[in-house]
Amino acid sequence: MSNTAAIEIRGISKRFGNHVALDNVHLDIRPGELVALLGPSGSGKTSLLRIIAGLEAPDSGQIMFGMEDASRRHAGEREVGFVFQHYALFRHMTVFENVAFGLRVVPRARRLPRTAIADRVTKLLELVQLGWLADRYPSQLSGGQRQRVALARALAIEPKVLLLDEPFAALDAKVRKELRRWLRALHEEVKLTSVFVTHDQDEALELADRVVVMSAGKVEQIGAPGDVYTAPASAFVHEFLGDTNRLACHIAAGRVLLADGGVLGRVEAPDGEAIAYVRPHELDILPAKDGSAFIRHASTFGPLVRLVVGFGTANLDVAMPVERWVRLGIAVGDRLNLAARYGAVFSDPAAPAAQLLPEVPGTMFAASICQQGGTQRN
Amino acid sequence: MTARGRDGALARRMLIGLAVVVAGIVLGMPLAIVLVEAFARGPAAYLAALADQDTLDAIRLTVLVALCSVTVTTVFGVAAAWCIARFDFRGRSLLLTVIDLPFSVSPVIAGLVQVLLFGRRGWLGPFLETYDIRIVFALPGIVLATVFVTLPFVARELIPLMQEQGAEEEEAALSLGASGWQTFWRVTLPNIRFALLTGVLLANARAMGEFGAVSVVSGHIRGATNTMPLQVEILFNDYQIEAAFAVASVLALLALVTLGLKLALERHQSGTHANEERPT
Repeated sequence: MSNTAAIEIRGISKRFGNHVALDNVHLDIRPGELVALLGPSGSGKTSLLRIIAGLEAPDSGQIMFGMEDASRRHAGEREVGFVFQHYALFRHMTVFENVAFGLRVVPRARRLPRTAIADRVTKLLELVQLGWLADRYPSQLSGGQRQRVALARALAIEPKVLLLDEPFAALDAKVRKELRRWLRALHEEVKLTSVFVTHDQDEALELADRVVVMSAGKVEQIGAPGDVYTAPASAFVHEFLGDTNRLACHIAAGRVLLADGGVLGRVEAPDGEAIAYVRPHELDILPAKDGSAFIRHASTFGPLVRLVVGFGTANLDVAMPVERWVRLGIAVGDRLNLAARYGAVFSDPAAPAAQLLPEVPGTMFAASICQQGGTQRN
Repeated sequence: MTARGRDGALARRMLIGLAVVVAGIVLGMPLAIVLVEAFARGPAAYLAALADQDTLDAIRLTVLVALCSVTVTTVFGVAAAWCIARFDFRGRSLLLTVIDLPFSVSPVIAGLVQVLLFGRRGWLGPFLETYDIRIVFALPGIVLATVFVTLPFVARELIPLMQEQGAEEEEAALSLGASGWQTFWRVTLPNIRFALLTGVLLANARAMGEFGAVSVVSGHIRGATNTMPLQVEILFNDYQIEAAFAVASVLALLALVTLGLKLALERHQSGTHANEERPT
């Protein structure tokens, strides 16, 4: 792969005082792809992005841009476009001057003539659909507009790589969604190798060609959005991507048993302690007068009904289509049994999961859950 | 309006009145007296007092000293503020404390230190004498003493602003290919320009008005090492009251101009501040 990678990250480590921000990270980024660095805060994703940009120096390791070692190169020489989380627009310059900045600071011998700079800036502002705001100052723009100015400014220097730090975090939900689609379309158009940092799994899964899930300075998994979601490489990845219910369990002869002996399902894994995850939409409820669980809370959210189900000492999340909820005709307080249609069982939290299957399709597990069991939400 | 509201309004008026009266007695009256006394014998006598050769020399020296020391203070202030706001290094809080030292140390001590260091019997005295360099009782000593006194003004004005603004714009400039100098001139400096001007104005006012530190190192040589505040004292001690007040009035006017400029700057700044706020 190394000869085709646009950026190759080789064993990068970085510490801030006693805190290990990055621990021997390896990653290849292919030309023209859009990669998401996804992880909770403190996972090292922003540090990695800043190291790629040259804004931070790694303690060890190399960054290769193509065949070239960029580790020793100054940020300004890396031909990297960086979009900051809070945009970092030059507040005393107009939108036009902001975008033109990268072209004006080029040494005179290589600098474009004044009119060519003006042409390029005008084109870029059209690309981000902000031509009409050229004379405004950053403070006079909305968040989404600032974001696009920051993008145009980064693109002005014709970078080899575009890096975006939490590009949508500072925007409200509606603008965020629009801008996300727009950025994806823009990427299809310019096909620039791009890396963005996010802590929002929806953003990563929707936008990226590949997702790099990070935790505590390490890469947990690299893969296509569909793969990291359906085949997580570790318990952390499963938990981080989407809502899930966490159940402490015990494997004995291929059967997944809860603390008090209730059967959750079958699994092909060695005997021993394990943790099972079942996503809210993978849990079925079956009304029963003597059921082991009961409905604590129900709320309708668009086409889905979300339930909080009391089960032993724990609360589990269950999600189902509105139609099914209506057909079941049950209400808060009613007792029921739960059944897992599917799930992931981790004998070792750092290794991929074994698939949890119903013992007989439709089987219920009617047992209370041990203390550690609980609900995980992201 | 409730009873409490009325009480509040009354208390407010009384406090405002008190503040105005105190400010009038302590600040306004002396200023008025300076001007009244200076012009007591009419404008002709006033101008004649200022046209005195020693006085003119004192004015010239004061301007020269202010120019030199404010330049040093400004360069130091920008550099120190940049270091402190941008980097976390060992000794950072020590540097912050040292910058504040002139606020807490009597200026006379600053002057005395110069004499002890650079004077004929000072630590470096023999060395300086060998190379025939005069610091104490000469321009360099006066400038050094003034620099000591004015050192915190620019740095103190800049540090909170630069800390609040953060380094992101500078990082953006660097990643767009700007050199360190380009980043400083095109991004850092425009962002701090108003605070910098305010700091320079305050430092300048202090530099021109400094008495204690300069008094120790100057040696009071008329026409050579006398600054305006020293000249005022000499004239006063010589019973040339009108002349003393005339020079004092020039100093007071300089101070008023400084304050006026500062006020205008603040007005301008608050007018544009809404436009310069960082997005959150």
